[in-house]
This record gives sequence, C-alpha cells and structure tokens, in this order.
Amino acid sequence: MSAPTRTSTAADAASLLRAHRDLLARLPVTFRAFIGVEAEKWPTLFAPERAYLGALLESIARWTGPELVDVFAGVTRLETGAGCRAVRESDPRRLQDATQALLRRQGLLPRWRQEVDQVFRRLQPRIDERLYSANAPRRLVVVLYGQGIAIQRDRLWRRLRSLGTRVPLRLEGAQTSEAFLHALFRTSAKDTLFSALREAAGRGPHDAWIVEAGESLHALCEAGASRGGAGATGLSYARLRAYREMLARSLYQKVLSGVSGPQELAAYAREMVVGPPQGSLLHSDEVVRAFIRDVFLAGNGTLLLNNTFVEWASVQALKRAEPRLLVARFGVRDKMKPFSSLLLFSSPRPTDQVPILEDPFGSFVDVEQLSYYVWLNAEKSAAYRGKTLYLLLAEGVDEMLAIRSDAPRTEPGELPEAALAEVAATMAAWVGVPLGASSARPLASLAG
Amino acid sequence: MPPSDSGRRDILRGAAALIADALLPRRAFAARDRSDNRNRAIVVTFGGGVRWEDTFAPEGWPNIPHLVSELVPQGLFYPETRYEGLTGHFNATGALVTGCLQNVDAYGGEAPTTPTVFECFRKERGLPPEETWVIASNKSFGLLGGSKLRDWGDPCAANVILPKQFLVEAVKSAVSTDAGPGVEDRQALAERMVSALDEGYEGFGWRVHESGRALGKEVRTSLARSLLDYFNDPLVPTSGDELTFFMTKEIMSRLAPSLVLVNFWDIDVAHFGAYSLYLEAIRRTDRLVHGLWEHAQSLPQYRGRTTFIVVPEMGRDGDPSGNGFQNHRSGDESCRRLWLLAVGAGVPRGLVSERPIRTTDVAPTLARVLGFKMPEGEARPLVELAF
Repeated sequence: MSAPTRTSTAADAASLLRAHRDLLARLPVTFRAFIGVEAEKWPTLFAPERAYLGALLESIARWTGPELVDVFAGVTRLETGAGCRAVRESDPRRLQDATQALLRRQGLLPRWRQEVDQVFRRLQPRIDERLYSANAPRRLVVVLYGQGIAIQRDRLWRRLRSLGTRVPLRLEGAQTSEAFLHALFRTSAKDTLFSALREAAGRGPHDAWIVEAGESLHALCEAGASRGGAGATGLSYARLRAYREMLARSLYQKVLSGVSGPQELAAYAREMVVGPPQGSLLHSDEVVRAFIRDVFLAGNGTLLLNNTFVEWASVQALKRAEPRLLVARFGVRDKMKPFSSLLLFSSPRPTDQVPILEDPFGSFVDVEQLSYYVWLNAEKSAAYRGKTLYLLLAEGVDEMLAIRSDAPRTEPGELPEAALAEVAATMAAWVGVPLGASSARPLASLAG
Repeated sequence: MPPSDSGRRDILRGAAALIADALLPRRAFAARDRSDNRNRAIVVTFGGGVRWEDTFAPEGWPNIPHLVSELVPQGLFYPETRYEGLTGHFNATGALVTGCLQNVDAYGGEAPTTPTVFECFRKERGLPPEETWVIASNKSFGLLGGSKLRDWGDPCAANVILPKQFLVEAVKSAVSTDAGPGVEDRQALAERMVSALDEGYEGFGWRVHESGRALGKEVRTSLARSLLDYFNDPLVPTSGDELTFFMTKEIMSRLAPSLVLVNFWDIDVAHFGAYSLYLEAIRRTDRLVHGLWEHAQSLPQYRGRTTFIVVPEMGRDGDPSGNGFQNHRSGDESCRRLWLLAVGAGVPRGLVSERPIRTTDVAPTLARVLGFKMPEGEARPLVELAF
C-alpha cells in the first residue's frame, strides 16, 4: 500500500473533491468540514490516509439519497439544533472550528461524537472492504523493553499473557542492549531486517518504523547502512531532544505572552513552522516531519516523557502509516522532580538543584500499560486485525511473548526454548524477507 | 551560586513572611468558639478523575488502602454512582456543587450557571465568607465558588483558594522587592519557582481566573503566615495536593468553616501517560483524604458533627476507548461509573447501598445536612443519611 509513488500534491486532493462535489454538498456540514480539512493536509498525509479519504467518499457515494438522509439523520439533527447549518464559511478549518464551538457551547459535542460513531459503524465495513483484502500482507509489531527497566518477571506482559505464547529464549551472550538488538535485527554485515524488507518488497521507508526512547536501534540501522539508507522511518526521543526543547520554548513563550486558553494556543501551535534538525531522523520527508510535529503537539505527555512518546507515536504510526513492520522500544523514564509533578516546557536550568534521576520501577509499570495499548490500538485497525504477529521482548531477559492475531491461542501457551537467531528468522519469514546468511530456522508454530 | 535546599526553604519562608503582617497576633484567626452544635460538611474530590478499575474494583484496592480498610467500614458506600455530564474538570465539579449538570467553559473561564451550595447556604443564613471554602489544586477552579446569576455570585460565593497560585504570588512578591530575602540570581530563582508551580496536566495555556471576591486581607495574611510553618516542616511536600492538604488543615483549624470543598488534582498527571504516576497520585490522594478525616476528628469543632463525603470528580476513559487512563474524553462507561463514600455525622456505619445515585445528588444532600434550601432540580438528597 505504501510503495513509493510520485509525490502527491494538493492538486490531487482538489481533484478528489471535485469528483465528489455533489456528494459533499449533501453531507452534514461537520462532515464536509472534516473532509475539507483532511484534503488540505493532503501533502502531509501518508499513502494509507489518502487511500482512506478516497474510500470514505466512494463508500458514502454508494448510498442512495434516502439512505444518505437516514445514515446522517442524527448528526444533521444535532447540527440543526446547534446552529451549525447556518454557518457560512468556505475555509474548512474555520468551518470546523466554528461548528465545533457551536456544538461545544450547546453541550452537544458528546452526543455529536456518538452520532458520528453510529455513522462509522455502518460505514467502516464498506471502507475496510475496499481497502483491506483478505490476502493483504502480514504485518509485524515488535515491542521491546529497553535495558534498565526494572522487570518484574512474575508480572511481565501481564495484560497480554493470556493471549499469547511464551517462548523461553537462549540469549547466548546477548545480555546487553547492543548485542540483543544485533541478534534480533541484523540480517547480515550490511543489512538489517528493515533494509532487507525494503529491498525484498520494494517498499518505501514509510513501511518500516522504529520508535524508540533511546537511539540504539537507530545506531544499529545506520551502522553499515548502504544502498539507499536505513530503510526505515525512525523516531528517537533522545535524538529529537533539541527539537522538543525548541517546541517547548516556543509554546512557553507564547503562554507567557498571554493566551486566552488552550484553543488559542492550539491554533498558534498549528501555525508554527519548525522541524527536526538535520540528522535527527533516519528518513526525513515532509510527511514524516509533519507527523513528528503532530505527535509532539497533540499527544499530551509526548514532549515530556519518553515512553509516552514511544506509545503515542507508535499508535499514530499504526493508524496513519500502517507500516508492515513497527518496532516500539521503551526505555527508562526520569523521576519526577519534587513538588512540581512535572515541569511543563521547562528544561533544567543551571540553578536547578534537583538532579535528574531515573525511575526504573515506575517505568516498568508504565510500559506494561503502554505496550498493552499499542497492541489494543493495532487490533482496532483492519490493517492489523487478524494478520499480525506481535512479539514482546525485554532486553537481556530470556523469554518472549508471541501473539498471532490470525490464530488465537487454543493450546497451552509455551514453546520450547529458542535462540534469538530463531526469533530473527521468524520475523524475517513472517514479513517475507529472505533469511540471508543465517542458518537459523523460523519457529514453525509462529511463522507458519 | 544557586541556593541549596535549605536556601530554597529560606526563600519560601521569606516569601510568606513578606506577605504576612508582622503585627498580626499569631492566632488572631483562631477558630471562633464552636460551642454550638451546628453540622459541618466536607466534600473531598478525587479530582482529575479515577476509574473504577483503578480504585474500588478488587485490583484497585491496593491503591486506596485507607479508604478500603479504614473509611468504608465506618461509613456508607455507594458503588453505583454516576456522572452524566460533560467530562471536563470544571463542569464535573460544577455539577457536584450545584446539583445541576453544567455546560460552561471547560477551562474555568465561566462561573456555573445555577446557584452553588455555597451561595445558597450563605445567602439563606446570612453567613460571612469564611464559612464556606473551595480549596483546589486545579488552578482553573477560581470561579467555582459562585454562580454567574444576577443577585448571586460574589456577594455570597465561597472563598476560593488555589494554594499553588497562592504560593506563586508569595514567591513573586518576595523576589520583587529589595526587602526580600537575600539571594543571588533573584530573577532566575523566581522563574524557577514559578515554573515549578505553574503546571497544568491536561494541556497548554490554562489561565487562572481570579474569583471576583478576593480573600479578606486578614485571612490572606493569616494563611500566608501559615506557609512559614509549612516550609519549616522537615517533610517538605512533594506535590501540589500536599500543599492543598496543608492549606485545608490550616483553614479548618483557624476558621472552622461549615462547608468545605477540597479538590485534589495530582491524579490528572495521567494525561502525561505514566500509569505509575497516576497510581501513585491515587495512593497519595487516598492518604490525604484519610489525613483530612483524621484532622477533622482531632478538632472539637468538627468531631462528631461533620459529614465527610469523598467522590471522584468523574471517571477516565476505559482501555478500549482512545488511550485509556490517560484521558477522559470518550464519555464511555468508564468515564461515567463512579463511587461515593459518606462517613461521619448522620451516616450509617459499614453499609453499602446498591441504589444508583448521581454526583449531582451531593448538592441537595449538603443542603439537608446543613439545613438550607437549594433550588428544585432533578438531583435528590441521599436519603440513607439521617438528617
């Protein structure tokens, strides 16, 4: 789905809207505004998002006139009650702001959301049918707990354990992060699973993602990267530090200058033109830069907490870019400073006497919940549901949890001990990548 | 050279001292003689919102040991409590104090649209401002003490104190004058302190909306003075809610108000996505709630005549909705399903009522407990309490 294509432009969006002009005129104003806003973002949408927008319009267009009235009756009724339909505004963003404000003022926003959910309950199967065929490619999601997190073995992957198969691992000396990651993801002296996927499937970098708190996986991909780069889209919380601080400073200055409330600040944030500095990304293009900005500005704790960033960015990547391979690698969160639970925007100053300390125990509690959310959100999407292998690993820990969403567990959930090389072979086999020089065999019950 | 930890306390003590009137007799505002047997009521919210599964579901019990083991056995527990309004902080707590669902600015820019318990109580009885208080960690609660209705509002609203903002002002005041404590890099210190206190969990750009009814000078002075003792304590507080806890105890001890709403809010750190910090904040709130109950029992003005109500402001999203515990936007069942615990005067001991109630029922219940009238609405007093 996300094979390299020509650059998609605003003209493509305009063309799509033109093709559905009559339909758009018959849609509720809040829907029309939503579609207009999405079309405006067209150059910064991932290929699956553009495909989705097209499928959405085509699916709605298949309804007859009376069906359309019936499907949108609830939304239309609320819009009329709130006065949305009297708004005269051609700019989609302003139209959306104005209609949302009217719904909010009338206290109708929760009911409007419920009505929209009702519409999508009828619409989504049609869209999924158009976009995700039964023989769509298999996908792989790997969740890693980085070294330093205080793993409690008896509570490890507690929320997901009943859904998966436990695999005891032979680490064979790969106790450190570097060795562990090398054993899992390096397929040859030059290649990683990410670059191999790109070459085998002719995929673009949007099809393999690394989201990590630290930067070890980024370093692994860069070491020996050849023939067109790392082959993945990579977001490292650590490497994005300068960008995070710049965003935080800009917002803080705006707050100090006086804003009427969060809505005004959000509007200001939308207009900010700042991007990650050169060299902080494995792959950089307009779509990825806009994505990162959205992750920092729309996810509440993403500017402040590494693991929140990893979870939110991963979930957003799964929803928006639908990569075939995503690796979410959590790390150790810093402890909160005394008195203030968190210091919004502020970076440590020379006068700050409170040292930064790590919270390995709290981090374990956090990542247990967040990794569950990564799985939960992936399974909400038709792109992943029923066709994904989830592997959960903790660096230096001699066990793994594997969940095949196409084959719910029916037998005792434990396999014989396996080597990390066999796990690597399993991942490669699952996404259809040649095993290279490795003599390890995939775990048949997982990759078959 | 930056100040040391003890230097920091010196600054804060100095800040408070600058505001305090040195000539004010130390206990000028000691509680008046409370030989009367009037009832009192304290409502404490698990502000920010908590989920059933993280509190009173069996897996949540370790997070609320004081409620489960000590307060529930002494009181009446309502496990079927619901909130049906907008799932924002101001509107949810606004519904609690008015008995009506509110739909005003989610960030506290507007007062409630119907009379609050504080206004009804003070107006009917002709009570002074010091009889009713809102003490809130959430800095958007400046306008929660009174409604925007004509003939109501400020003249009969509750005193509202936002302890963190109070401290911010004290710090700003201290560093803005040469008479303040001697420190190097005064401006840097001020910025650091203000930054440390100026937090908002849910988003950026929250404003503090000052209540139109400013605290009386003497009350303000007295409370600022109390900061002296606070920062002299070797157990220097580590969160905004602990400051709120301290302020509440001070107000109870010095003024013995009849009606107090305490809003704890550290729990809303959940928005930042750290589950462990969210659970830690629940445990802290549990401890502070119990501490307030114990404090009430230690004061003759409160012991045996105080109805103590503990209730979450609202729930938070269930795991399948959005991003789970982090938000309270979906309006799903997990946002709606709450609990309520009543303990103290007029409350049967060790009972559980399966009767479904709503958080809006708190307001008419307070009216019955304290003996004043609220405008008729859909909310009903908790009839299980003896009035």
